[in-house]
Amino acid sequence: MSFPILSFVTFFPVGGALLLIFIPKEKASLLRYLALAFTLVTFVASLALYLYFDGSVAEPQFVEKSPWLGYGINYHLGVDGISLWLVLLTTFLMPIAVLSSWTYIQKRVKEYLIFMLLLEAGIIGVFVSLNLFLFYVFWEAMLIPMYFLIGVWGGPRRVYATLKFVLMTMFGSLLMLVAIFVLYSFYYRATGAYSLELFDFYKLVLNPQVQGWLFLAFALAFAIKVPMFPFHTWLPDAHVEAPTAGSVILAAVLLKMGTYGFLRFAIPLFPDALERFLPLLSILALIGIIYGGLMALVQRDVKSLIAYSSVSHMGLIMLAVFSLNLTGIEGAIYQMLNHGLSTGALFLIVGILYERAHTRLIKDFGGVSSQMPVFSAFFLVCMLSSVGLPGLNGFVGEILCLFGIFKTSQLLAILAISTVVLAAAYLLWMYQRVMHGPITNEKIRSFKDMNQRELGYLLPIVIMMFWMGIYPQTFLRKMDASVSRLVDRVHNRERIFVHEGRPSDRLKYYQIRESRDEPSAELAFGSGEEKK
Amino acid sequence: MNSLAALYPLVVIVGGALIILLLEVFIQKEKRDYLGFISLAVLASASFLAVLSWNRQLAYFQDMLWLDNLAVFMTLVFCLAVGFVILMSLKYIEQQGANHGEIFALLLLALAGLMIMASSSDLLVIFLGLEVLSVSSYALAGMRRADEKSGEAALKYFLLGSFASAFLVLGLALLYGAAQSLFIPEIIVHFGNAAGSTAMGLIGLALILVGFGFKIAVVPFHMWTPDVYEGAPTPVTAFFSVGPKAAGFVVLVRIFINLWDNVQAGNLIFWALWTMSVLTMIVANLVALRQTNVKRMLAYSSIAHAGYLLVAVLAREYSGLVYYLAAYMFMNIGAFAALIAMTRTGKEYQDLDDFSGIGFRYPWIGAILSVFLLSLAGFPPTAGFLAKFYVFSAAVRAGLVPLVVIGVLASLISVFYYLRVVVYMYMREPRWPVEIEVKNPALFLVLFLCLYGVLQLGIFPGNLLIVIKQAIASMPVF
Repeated sequence: MSFPILSFVTFFPVGGALLLIFIPKEKASLLRYLALAFTLVTFVASLALYLYFDGSVAEPQFVEKSPWLGYGINYHLGVDGISLWLVLLTTFLMPIAVLSSWTYIQKRVKEYLIFMLLLEAGIIGVFVSLNLFLFYVFWEAMLIPMYFLIGVWGGPRRVYATLKFVLMTMFGSLLMLVAIFVLYSFYYRATGAYSLELFDFYKLVLNPQVQGWLFLAFALAFAIKVPMFPFHTWLPDAHVEAPTAGSVILAAVLLKMGTYGFLRFAIPLFPDALERFLPLLSILALIGIIYGGLMALVQRDVKSLIAYSSVSHMGLIMLAVFSLNLTGIEGAIYQMLNHGLSTGALFLIVGILYERAHTRLIKDFGGVSSQMPVFSAFFLVCMLSSVGLPGLNGFVGEILCLFGIFKTSQLLAILAISTVVLAAAYLLWMYQRVMHGPITNEKIRSFKDMNQRELGYLLPIVIMMFWMGIYPQTFLRKMDASVSRLVDRVHNRERIFVHEGRPSDRLKYYQIRESRDEPSAELAFGSGEEKK
Repeated sequence: MNSLAALYPLVVIVGGALIILLLEVFIQKEKRDYLGFISLAVLASASFLAVLSWNRQLAYFQDMLWLDNLAVFMTLVFCLAVGFVILMSLKYIEQQGANHGEIFALLLLALAGLMIMASSSDLLVIFLGLEVLSVSSYALAGMRRADEKSGEAALKYFLLGSFASAFLVLGLALLYGAAQSLFIPEIIVHFGNAAGSTAMGLIGLALILVGFGFKIAVVPFHMWTPDVYEGAPTPVTAFFSVGPKAAGFVVLVRIFINLWDNVQAGNLIFWALWTMSVLTMIVANLVALRQTNVKRMLAYSSIAHAGYLLVAVLAREYSGLVYYLAAYMFMNIGAFAALIAMTRTGKEYQDLDDFSGIGFRYPWIGAILSVFLLSLAGFPPTAGFLAKFYVFSAAVRAGLVPLVVIGVLASLISVFYYLRVVVYMYMREPRWPVEIEVKNPALFLVLFLCLYGVLQLGIFPGNLLIVIKQAIASMPVF
């Protein structure tokens, strides 16, 4: 690989952020155009990933690897069929997010754009890292810009929301860090070499008891991020308080970091433990589906309605992930993209309404469609995509998810269908109350329809919704190889050995007593490596 | 190698301090800055001499002063820290009515104490260094003579410090009685004997631990810290929070690197330290949550960091420990430097409310302070994260999983109070107008150097780790 395209895509936004620091804050529109340019160039560069990506190869591609800090900490990037689409989703939505805050953000534009660019770099970094240290660095570093985006430019309860978001996420990820340390030390003891490479850890065959603890630590971090019931409480707060673009990125991309984490780390690293916790996790996902849907039904604020709909949709995605078959996982990844597009679009639409009405309460609206016909068409399409209307993207994803779940458990599939039913109920009802009926609020009469900028950022999303709904092959065929490799990792490890070689016996069933027990003094003393 | 060269850095520092004391009498009050510049020159030459002795294992006074690589490295860290402190105080002492030339001389003398502590393996010499350091520190804490709090700090520090020294001396006496020596290697040899672990020796060792516990400020010997840190002039506080702690930990390393495997009582000491570490991490972080004064909050945070450093001692990750100390030096001095930036003549803004809206009013100060706080909290890509990473990963490797879990949860608590300052700076409207004097080039030099240090150590520490490894490897192991 001659040109380090992944590094470029990851760090180009950082370059933009650094450039923006030195531009005086009075030149707000220059700042906006520059930020837009940087995100657009990043997007165009990431298209090269799509063009040159070989869907028949399961291994990561565009790999860049160079030593960094020693002790197994390498700079190791790569994308496979799972992360490719998440990277593209991020780079696709970022220019849109910048555009959507063009007029919404009037105060402290410079800092806002700097944090948006840093956020983009952090998120992409999470998806392309193949070294656990690097992954963790991005995973944590990404919190800082999001913390500021919610805390500075958010709604009235922003400080509470942002601290809750950061602290809950940190809680999970710090325990995950300990689990990473444990893996690190296992690998060191088994081979005598330091490594934090994900693919080295795949080869570790751990005893089920240890796996259980490690899996719980990883799963907690990711479950908070997804968020799965009962760790979802930060989500409605953060979504409602965040500025529009913040909610878009939060819902469309950040939540996917959780599901991605399950697919990339928690599931393939600890297949035995997964089996043990599968019933519990499935039930939690199912509760999330139904609980999120019911909560969405009774929300009075459009934004929190969409926030709870995320809980419900993410529940379906998790359930499909836990079905652990090719259809289900591909459906889950596909649905991750769909959810990114449709929920992102819905948040944008709420933003458009809010910029005009300065309220988000459903009861303040009614009859908007007569004033804003173009807007109402876009709203309808995005809403139906979220509901899962055939011909739009949501349908393909949901049907694949449900097929996948059905293969594993028919009962779960039947219950999971409630996500579609509930989504139809709360979204259609919300649409009806906001867009139709008599105009009760006189302010609505002065509403202007969408302007070109707003059209400009919703149109690409709607085009993608149709494309993904009508011709999903473009997307699915790139992920086949990687996903089936993942399924093999869980179910038939023998097949993995054909490609990657059998793990040496030293790595097998490696037991460490003290990871469960209190550290006995003898062990604590007997293993120091500083001993000369 | 037995050579007088081992003394050169020390001689330069002490000589410089004495010259400054002399000059102070003759120099006009307005030109006190020159004293600062002279002391910077003294520091530079001492560091140069220290660098020259890298890899030479110089020793003098029958090996009582031993300039091994670790001592050289720590000398450099101390010189850098004191250099930062001097730059920070140039304008501060004038603003806050502490304009006495002695501050530079005292800082240099304290530095001499630190250097002695870091470069000896004889407990009595270490004690001498500690006393040189302590006596200068007591005077430094009371530098703002007109301020009651400063006086209180000096008195408290003096009283409690004397108690700690008394414990230490008693411990040394008992240990000497038990082991017939205060040279660490000889003590170890003695304790290694089956008959060696007498009650007298053990009590002596425990008392020594108590004495050092005071100096490095770990719970339950931390009571003096918040008051002293709050009352002392801010640059001096920055020095207190870094210098004595680092030197204390180096002494602990020198003791424990030999002691773990050879001493039968090692188990007991291990659990004592384990308990102190856990208590420190939990108590300090919980109490820090309740602070509304940023300086006091930083005092508790520095206690909490002593807890993480103890984890490194327990995990025997000495190079990680030294790396942590270097990183901690940059981020903590940086945070205090930002606190000093929040001043004007006769007024220091230290309350959380004072920080409301600072982030947008003084963007550079806000941004840089945020980086230091995030680094203290352990967010990547800063030095604070990498330091915690090394320490905690080594601790897991050593099988101390419960300790690490407590450690990371404690640092989660710390995230809250560090971020609270950021919340005030960026997410609150100013309560009252805060006017600060921003024209202070020396201070901004410190801020930027510390920022550079925090980022450089966090992203590309490069050869530093190799250097630290060499420093640790050069320590005489008996």
